[in-house]
Amino acid sequence: MKTKALTIAAVAAVAITGPAFADKLDDIIGSGKLRCAVVLDFPPMGSRDASNNPQGFDVDYCNDLAKALGVEAEIVETTFPERIPALVSGQVDVGVASTSDTLERAKTVGFTIPYYAFENAVTANDKVEMATWEDLKGKTVGATAGTYEAIWLEGKVKEWGEGEFRPYQNQADVFLALSQGQLDATVSTVEVAEANVASGNFPGIKVVDKAPMVPDYVALIALREEQGLINYMNLFINQQVRTGRYAELYKKWVGEGEPADLTIKGVYR
Amino acid sequence: MFDTALTLNDFIFLAKGAGMTIFVTVISVALGTVLGIVFGVIRYQLGPVWSAPLMFVLDIFRSIPLLIQLVLAYAFLGTVLRLGLSGLSVACMVLTLYTSAYCAEIVRGGIEAVPLTLRRAARSLGMSWGQDMRHIVMPLATRVALPSWIGLALGVMKDSALVYVVQVTELLKSTQILITRLQEPLLLLTICGAFYFLISFPVARFGGYLERRWSND
Amino acid sequence: MFNYRFQWKQAYAKLPEMLDGAITTMQVAILSMVIGILLAILLTLFRRSGNRILGGFATTWVEIARNTPALFQIYMAHFGLAGLGLHLSPYQSLLLGITFNNAGYLAENFRGALKAIPDTQPRAGRSLGMSDLQAFRFIVLPQMIRISFPTITNQMVWAVLMTSLGVTVGMNSDLYGVTQDLNALTFRTFELFAMAAVIFYVIVKIIQAGAWLISRRLFRY
Repeated sequence: MKTKALTIAAVAAVAITGPAFADKLDDIIGSGKLRCAVVLDFPPMGSRDASNNPQGFDVDYCNDLAKALGVEAEIVETTFPERIPALVSGQVDVGVASTSDTLERAKTVGFTIPYYAFENAVTANDKVEMATWEDLKGKTVGATAGTYEAIWLEGKVKEWGEGEFRPYQNQADVFLALSQGQLDATVSTVEVAEANVASGNFPGIKVVDKAPMVPDYVALIALREEQGLINYMNLFINQQVRTGRYAELYKKWVGEGEPADLTIKGVYR
Repeated sequence: MFDTALTLNDFIFLAKGAGMTIFVTVISVALGTVLGIVFGVIRYQLGPVWSAPLMFVLDIFRSIPLLIQLVLAYAFLGTVLRLGLSGLSVACMVLTLYTSAYCAEIVRGGIEAVPLTLRRAARSLGMSWGQDMRHIVMPLATRVALPSWIGLALGVMKDSALVYVVQVTELLKSTQILITRLQEPLLLLTICGAFYFLISFPVARFGGYLERRWSND
Repeated sequence: MFNYRFQWKQAYAKLPEMLDGAITTMQVAILSMVIGILLAILLTLFRRSGNRILGGFATTWVEIARNTPALFQIYMAHFGLAGLGLHLSPYQSLLLGITFNNAGYLAENFRGALKAIPDTQPRAGRSLGMSDLQAFRFIVLPQMIRISFPTITNQMVWAVLMTSLGVTVGMNSDLYGVTQDLNALTFRTFELFAMAAVIFYVIVKIIQAGAWLISRRLFRY
């Protein structure tokens, strides 16, 4: 109790003596450590290798960012629903967690320019007759709680007024449920869908169709008021593309082919 | 059926999660019991009216899902106060208060079970309040309270499965991580459940034994 | 003082959705208690029957329910049973998990309560021409429920609190699930969960008040 009172007193004192303000960017450089929230059940962006160490596109991006800042990277695993709470509660400095940049969320956290863009695919259980994404209507569908595709899919189910939507806590549970036949179909990023089908871990599922969403642009996140840090990360993303590192990591984790275009025609950022 | 991709490495990973479960449980139960005894004695000494504010606060911990307590504490301490506490310390704090809220009731029940006449006799023999508490109330109340306390400690161990929500990788969370990679849900969940069972069952049996033994004489 | 602005209005606008969730939560809790009590009585009979298979079955149930986390039991009801080919919806999985847990805890308590009822009573009933089952039904059961009533109330509170674990099996229509869904949209974690906490608190108080009224009516001497 006493320590708590002391802490509160200390916080109050700091608040009263006012802004001896070092921003987050300074804090990170000063502490020598960059703590990134990464979702590790989201291959190929984040997963664990055979000795349960973090790996993936997002993990490499965090390492690159730390290297650019000249500090050490620390990967903090979060699930999709928990990544923002982890950021705003100060557990991590930034989120490298494939976070879609919706306007609703931008009221709470600060987004950089997009660093990756997903297309979404519909994956279905083999036993279910499906040809196009429109066959999702009336089916039992699911996705990872708190993701862009979950918000889209839940909206569609409400719009159709039939079928059922189930949000699971992580991507693995979704595919487990799909493979077990608890779900008829799911919507996920093409990368995740293909990686999971190819892994052979989930028998009896197949990719059916692309989902008709606008590309899902994902950005790095930091606290809304940390403009210095967000500026720095914007430049970092730009440099990753410019130096070819983006294409290199795309090839390493996603595969052959053209990495997703991060620009939008006809509008300034 | 036992054809599995589980390696020694993964067992070490699971053991680490189990270690975390035990660590969180031991810290929270130890601190929560101390606090709970203090609260319980205060409750008894002050009587129902004067201790009402304290009881109201403790009652909140028993009326809201632990999951929400954890999320709220985490969001409040981190987002609002910006204290930058680790998930582990938030988990321990919440579980400690959670334990103390239940423990206070157990302690109060224990003290009330000691016949008042016995305590008056002790005081009339010249014992101080402290001596009475130490030599008369404590041994007798412990007999009444210990079985319930064992139940509480085991309850906290099982409830500690929820601290995954504040980024603490305990046993159930480590199991989920391995399920994600290995896709052997049934096997891994059985191992996880067996672990909880193997710790909880013997202790619960021991508690039942104590209860039977002490209620006979 | 602190660098945080509460946005209660945004959260308050979601209250109707959250109250809908609260109704689902109550529904699950009440159903799980009703079925749980019936199952617990059945398990108690099994354990009294002297039949080793039935007794063993009941004991296994009780010990698993009491010695593993509720979260584990619910997760098993969904993903574990599906591994064996039995598919339950999130609602059914949650209901099954909580019911399993309720029945286990209550059966153990009923066993304790039975010890307080002298063996001579059902025997007296038997000698009045009642069957074994009748003696249990009319003599033992009412007293057992009465002795266990505080525990039943507590377990009901537990059942309400346990519904919050449904999110792990894809449940999104209960109070916690609704709150988490809203949180994913807006990230207003503190405000939304604080409101959920208040609603849970009110539900629990209503249950406790209701139990108090019932016990006063039913158990007057």
